[in-house]
Amino acid sequence: MKFNGYERPDGSVGVRNILLVLAVADCSEPVARMIAEEIYGAFAITQHYGCIPGQMVANTLIGVGENPNVAAVLLVGMGCEGMPAHALGKTIKRSGKPVEWISIQELGGTHNALTKGKQILKGMSEKISRLKRKEFDISKLIIGVKCGGSDTTSGLAGNPAVGAFVDMLIDAGGAAIMSEPIEAVGAEEPLAKRALNEEVKKQIYKMIGDEEKRWSVPGAQMEFMCKGNVDGGLTTIEEKSLGAIHKSGSRPIVGVLENSDRLLEKVPEGAGFYLQDGTHMEPMAMSFMAAAGAQMVIFVTGCGGTFGHAIVPMIKVTGNPETYSKMPGDMDINAGTIITGEESIDSVGRRIFDEVIEVASGKATLGETLGYHNFSVYRRDPRLEALLKISK
Amino acid sequence: MKRAIMMNSRDNVATALENLDAGALTSVILPSQEVLKEVLTMQAIPFGHKLAITGIKKGNKVIKYGEIIGNASQNIAPGDNVHVHNVKSNRMQMPEIWYREEG
Repeated sequence: MKFNGYERPDGSVGVRNILLVLAVADCSEPVARMIAEEIYGAFAITQHYGCIPGQMVANTLIGVGENPNVAAVLLVGMGCEGMPAHALGKTIKRSGKPVEWISIQELGGTHNALTKGKQILKGMSEKISRLKRKEFDISKLIIGVKCGGSDTTSGLAGNPAVGAFVDMLIDAGGAAIMSEPIEAVGAEEPLAKRALNEEVKKQIYKMIGDEEKRWSVPGAQMEFMCKGNVDGGLTTIEEKSLGAIHKSGSRPIVGVLENSDRLLEKVPEGAGFYLQDGTHMEPMAMSFMAAAGAQMVIFVTGCGGTFGHAIVPMIKVTGNPETYSKMPGDMDINAGTIITGEESIDSVGRRIFDEVIEVASGKATLGETLGYHNFSVYRRDPRLEALLKISK
Repeated sequence: MKRAIMMNSRDNVATALENLDAGALTSVILPSQEVLKEVLTMQAIPFGHKLAITGIKKGNKVIKYGEIIGNASQNIAPGDNVHVHNVKSNRMQMPEIWYREEG
């Protein structure tokens, strides 16, 4: 099985050819956005944890810059931040793709930064526009799976259909990744049974146990399920988790990828299913999976969701026939046919597989046609980690 | 007859595949579409919500997908709506606002 993608200097293969302007903190975001606005194919992203956001945020931004969908990167910094543009830029540049950085203070303010930034970006745009898609084996694909706005159809139809797809992908030589440890609370046993070995089994229990600690601190009332979950019929985190893990398919779990202040581990070469120590919050989880190398995300929703991701095209699957008929301009795949008894889980899985090959080769997802470029990053507070005695 | 699906043969709840009226005989099917039994609903059950297919005593396990999804916080009769008002998680409790809104 083949798809047509963009080969990067490090040997990875992108399914998009993104010209990324990365404001290292939100203070330089307006300049980054103004630079990107006038250049063909460019858009700007940033993070909102300030200019000393810590290593986990830096790891995510570096990983996103290294993602094979990104053809070239211009980093924009104010100049005085604790996480400077040049430091991130030098690391991303090791991937071999065109990477440059500017400092607004060094260049003498907004006007000069805009002039210089646009000049650099225009050159990059010309350069990357000459890159052509080539045929690659499906073993070059890493697909993230995520669910959100779940109702009970997610566990009955949407997630099982994606699980069927994941099994087909892995059997064909591809890799898949899931990043939502809280949505595994109560589902440890079915996941642990699939661990490749004792070490992976231990990592699965530790990852889920750590996340449970973070979200059930005595005295802190934290919401970990949304109103839509409960209105949609989901009663407990266990029920939500047991439904959520269906999208991981049934193949062995070959690894739990570390994602901490210490390290953001990438998906290794070769087929297999991976868990990532990430988060359940949708665009943030997608940023983590993108940083680990995923080129695309399958998003399963019951209630519906109208967003996309700046780095990875997102194929939206709904298991709720009512949601599909209400939001046909947003939902790429209707898995509600499983609920109505018209189609089998495997048949929908096969449709998802076909769509993934098409989108990997350039077909726009509905979210892309709508121009969605959501981007956000998630940070675990190192102080809470220390107080909860969570070690890596 | 309207349908509810039981995901695993160990389950004591089924999920409504359509809006079910109170007092309606409902056909409980397996994922293979095979009809397992019929249950009389005690309350209206919205699409996607659960009904008990056996009685579940307070404190006993509520099982879906063949796994424990929580424990009954009160006695549940066959055909009862099974949701946040009569099931508690064994792991993490949601903020009380959900229970108030459901009530």
